[in-house]
Amino acid sequence: MDSVVGSKVMQQQEQTQNEDREVILSVRGLKKHFPITAGIVIQRQVGAVKAVDGVDFDVYKGETLGLVGESGCGKSTTGRTILQLYRPTAGSVVFEGKELTTMRGNELRQMRRRMQIIFQDPFASLNPRMTVGNIVSEPLLVHNVMSKNERKEYVSHLLEKVGLNPFYINRYPHEFSGGQRQRIGIARALALNPSFIVADEPISALDVSIQAQVVNLLEDLQQELNLTYLFIAHDLSMVRHICDRVAVMYLGKVVEIGPTNLVYDNPLHPYTQALLSAVPVPDPEVEEKRRRIILTGDVPSPANPPQGCNFSTRCPVSFDLCYQEPDPPLIEAEPGHFVACHRVL
Amino acid sequence: MGVLMEVRDLVTRFYTQEGTVYAVNGVSYDLQEGETLGIVGESGSGKSVHALSIMGLIPQPPGKIESGSVMFQGRDLLKLSRDQMRLVRGAEIAMIFQDPMTSLNPVLKIGTQLTEGLKLHLGMTQSQAENRAAELLDMVGIPDARKRLDAYPHQFSGGMRQRVMIAIGLSCNPKLLIADEPTTALDVTIQAQIIELIKQLKEELGMAIIWITHDLGVVAGIADTLQVMYGGMILERGPIKAVMHNPHNAYTLGLMNSLPRLDEDGNRRLQQIEGSPPDMRIEPVGDPFAPRNPYATERCFKERPPLRQVEGSAEGHLVAAWYDLPAVLKAEAAQNG
Repeated sequence: MDSVVGSKVMQQQEQTQNEDREVILSVRGLKKHFPITAGIVIQRQVGAVKAVDGVDFDVYKGETLGLVGESGCGKSTTGRTILQLYRPTAGSVVFEGKELTTMRGNELRQMRRRMQIIFQDPFASLNPRMTVGNIVSEPLLVHNVMSKNERKEYVSHLLEKVGLNPFYINRYPHEFSGGQRQRIGIARALALNPSFIVADEPISALDVSIQAQVVNLLEDLQQELNLTYLFIAHDLSMVRHICDRVAVMYLGKVVEIGPTNLVYDNPLHPYTQALLSAVPVPDPEVEEKRRRIILTGDVPSPANPPQGCNFSTRCPVSFDLCYQEPDPPLIEAEPGHFVACHRVL
Repeated sequence: MGVLMEVRDLVTRFYTQEGTVYAVNGVSYDLQEGETLGIVGESGSGKSVHALSIMGLIPQPPGKIESGSVMFQGRDLLKLSRDQMRLVRGAEIAMIFQDPMTSLNPVLKIGTQLTEGLKLHLGMTQSQAENRAAELLDMVGIPDARKRLDAYPHQFSGGMRQRVMIAIGLSCNPKLLIADEPTTALDVTIQAQIIELIKQLKEELGMAIIWITHDLGVVAGIADTLQVMYGGMILERGPIKAVMHNPHNAYTLGLMNSLPRLDEDGNRRLQQIEGSPPDMRIEPVGDPFAPRNPYATERCFKERPPLRQVEGSAEGHLVAAWYDLPAVLKAEAAQNG
């Protein structure tokens, strides 16, 4: 009892400190650079792909934070670096009060129980030679948390929870459709009872009629188990639907972050504005009236980002400052809504 | 405007080791000159196979066009010989594919790939073709076009490669451009560029377009007519506003309701379509959507519904359904108070 009361008091203290909300994950100055090497025998580093280049954000307990951006903007790398699947080049990741970037070995393994990942491609992320039962119980085996009989019962329970018939426990992944496979991936992520899940494009490989099923399942599970999600996606309509807050990334940096409705109804960064205007709406009458901001050119290479602001090469409203000064910092434009743009400063 | 193409009762199957795949099961429609037809369907709906059948690009075996006809400018494309079809493809009907990474030949220069059709179909000389190729690249918005003719596909980004594909597709002024998920592999800002480009080119050149996609949003912005396919059949088609605002097939309605929209905040629970898409190795009986359709009647499971004109809707708004969706929905609403 004492510990429960104690933790509640602590929670309350934290809540008052953090505007009534408990921060479960705090990312500061996160960088992940992949080296580019040259030479056959002696490899020397000739450059770096700056996939993630200084990312700061907090994730609050029980919320869904959307991480959006185009391919190559570093959103998936950010997710994996948070989970320490990639070790960061610099920066700090504090999860449930503990610094992950300096953790090693068993200590880190213990933390992995609390944070899991759901992958994009349900065809590639399940071992084709393992049965569904073995796939879902593997995390339990690795962390040695249950006896064999308990495991079996628990796996059946998990399968039921994600909407699969436990009868299929001895079947192999190829016997399932894409949507069912993604449910298996979700069951595996839930096995260790985590508090935080990185969902890395969990629905983009699925058929349209199946996407809503998986999204509804993720929402139900979040309610039931009080989960916190980092939802990585490029489908901006779905992000608006599922996320409480959204962070927009461009070329390894967060350019705008805030409550979803504020960002969508009042996008402040010219990249967010262009991105949102480019998303088609399934309504011919709305489409007739919409004005698109068509960006010219392509995303620059993260191995060779522009001199000034990362977006300056494609920005429709850039001015001299944008080409000279390094990237602008994130500033709070309205409560909770941050943007990194010289125009807004 | 006249009819450009008449597709009638097209049936395409694949005879594989794992059994027969019933990919296209009787598809009929007319395409008008200059019309943009959006075809929407999920994987396995037969939307791509039906287009490949029209183009004569189905590998036979294992594939076989069992029956049907495709009348294009007075000729049945399905009856043409290989050599005759070769003269149609590229010249009168062009196709662009989903993946610009794999549909360009990686070892040939862009210029070579662009001039091939010009020389074959239009009988141009090398230098004429090169000049025209440079114009085409310029038309699709590739800067420094003449120099880029000597570049290889890997030197272009994904969006640029799709532009090159479009330039190749339009090089011989085709009457019909079939675009099979041309923007699916691209980022949303690049997708907007490509859609804008195709709209603008259509205005200039006036070709008809068949735009195949799974994204209802994309077709809403460009199509005149929407055709919804499922299980190798057409379940609903018609003027896009009529179909999207007044769907009469439960699958069309289900798709619309399961999509979140950018312009609505996220408090609504998505209505999901239960079940999974059909196994195309089973010969379809009746309405292919019946097993997932909460409004299905007994007849839906037994008998295939024909396409019929929707009463009181725009002309050409056709639906294949035994049930009367608006009436069923009304009754349901009344029951729920």
